[in-house]
Amino acid sequence: MDETAEPLCERLATDLDDGFTELVRVHASAVHAFLLRVTGFAAEADDLGQETFLRAYTALQGYSAKRRRALRPRAWLMTIAANVWRNHVRTCVRRPVAAARVEDSCESWPAEGPGPQERAETAADRALLVAALARLPEPARVAVVLRHVVGMSYAEVAEVQGCPVGTVKAQVSRGIATLRQLLEPEVALLREVTM
Amino acid sequence: MEAALADLAGPAPADFAARVLQRVGIPRNRYDMYLHLEAPAGGLYVAYGPQAVTGAALGKTVPGPEAFEEAHLARTGRSAIRTTRPLPGLRTALRTGRAKGLRIDLPELTEAERAVLDAVRTIPRGQLRPLAWVAREAAVSGTAAVTEALEVNPVPLLIPCHRVTFDESGPCDLRYGPIVGAVLRGAEGIDDALVGLSRMGTVFLGSDTTRIYCHPTCAHARRITPPHQVPFRSARAAREAGYRACKSCRPIAA
Repeated sequence: MDETAEPLCERLATDLDDGFTELVRVHASAVHAFLLRVTGFAAEADDLGQETFLRAYTALQGYSAKRRRALRPRAWLMTIAANVWRNHVRTCVRRPVAAARVEDSCESWPAEGPGPQERAETAADRALLVAALARLPEPARVAVVLRHVVGMSYAEVAEVQGCPVGTVKAQVSRGIATLRQLLEPEVALLREVTM
Repeated sequence: MEAALADLAGPAPADFAARVLQRVGIPRNRYDMYLHLEAPAGGLYVAYGPQAVTGAALGKTVPGPEAFEEAHLARTGRSAIRTTRPLPGLRTALRTGRAKGLRIDLPELTEAERAVLDAVRTIPRGQLRPLAWVAREAAVSGTAAVTEALEVNPVPLLIPCHRVTFDESGPCDLRYGPIVGAVLRGAEGIDDALVGLSRMGTVFLGSDTTRIYCHPTCAHARRITPPHQVPFRSARAAREAGYRACKSCRPIAA
């Protein structure tokens, strides 16, 4: 569990608005990263992220102080995010719309991130990985993203997915193996081209 | 493979959290927003409430944005949410170094500390003032209260504590050490020779044409041409020589 959970839950229990602000500050980027890697679209991740927090706030309003104090915020938020995303996918299947593919959102501090040259060097590898991730089956993708992109423990991922820890471990391991398979031929091809 | 995946967890867009709070409808006065602005010594993180600045930190003195958020929460008890749009007037204040008109709200400080920091804010850009001057302007007794307030200064650069010097020697960089202080003074074009003057025992500079004495960095003192400069070790010596105090930098009459 993350070490920030304790004071955060205390704040949530004493003052909802205060605690919720803190919740957003601490967990917004993790939720956004999860949704971005699961959907593959920056704009979609943005919308679904807002939807996630809106739902979280509405739910928190109905919770008692005791329940808020016992909350494990990150796993709880990811559960909501995963549900929001599943609902969204279902809606999209029923009412399909064309969307332009956005590969990566790199808006951050102006000085911090890697410069254009570094970006160009790593962009090719990243793009391959992002594409491979999008081709994974749904449960495996969620498990792999939660475990390795967001960096949650297997126990937390199991809580989000609502299944035993063993299942999650299998999903993650199979997901990684599939990713390797998907990447292998392309990397080999790249080597041939560059040689 | 695992490392490459972990690498995909890039930061969210800079104003994502701020937009979430707006969408959910949390009142603006429940949290602070902050951003990183261009400034000497590694830029400046500035946090602000709906109306006024509530905290800041120099980029050189904090390891990163997360550290600034944590420090701000610990000091004020308010969450600082990253944004991209600064408080109106903030960018101008930083660019010109004239932050006197900017609203700064520090409810967690004591009355005396606020008085001292308000006095420090009146020191013009590019000028230096000794501790005793600040103590007099703030109407506090003794320079100990001044140094205490300078040590906790929660808004460095916008409250220009780098423009304060010890009474008879060099600059008084209690908040962030002499190296950062020197960078800040250098960016304002404060002449090291003038800082050196006070080190050599010259506290005031007079002009033998006008018979007025000033702090050496006062705008009027810097206009005195070298042949007409008359250094004084104390205000008393200047008065005995028939000089009067400058009305704009108000040197101490002690």
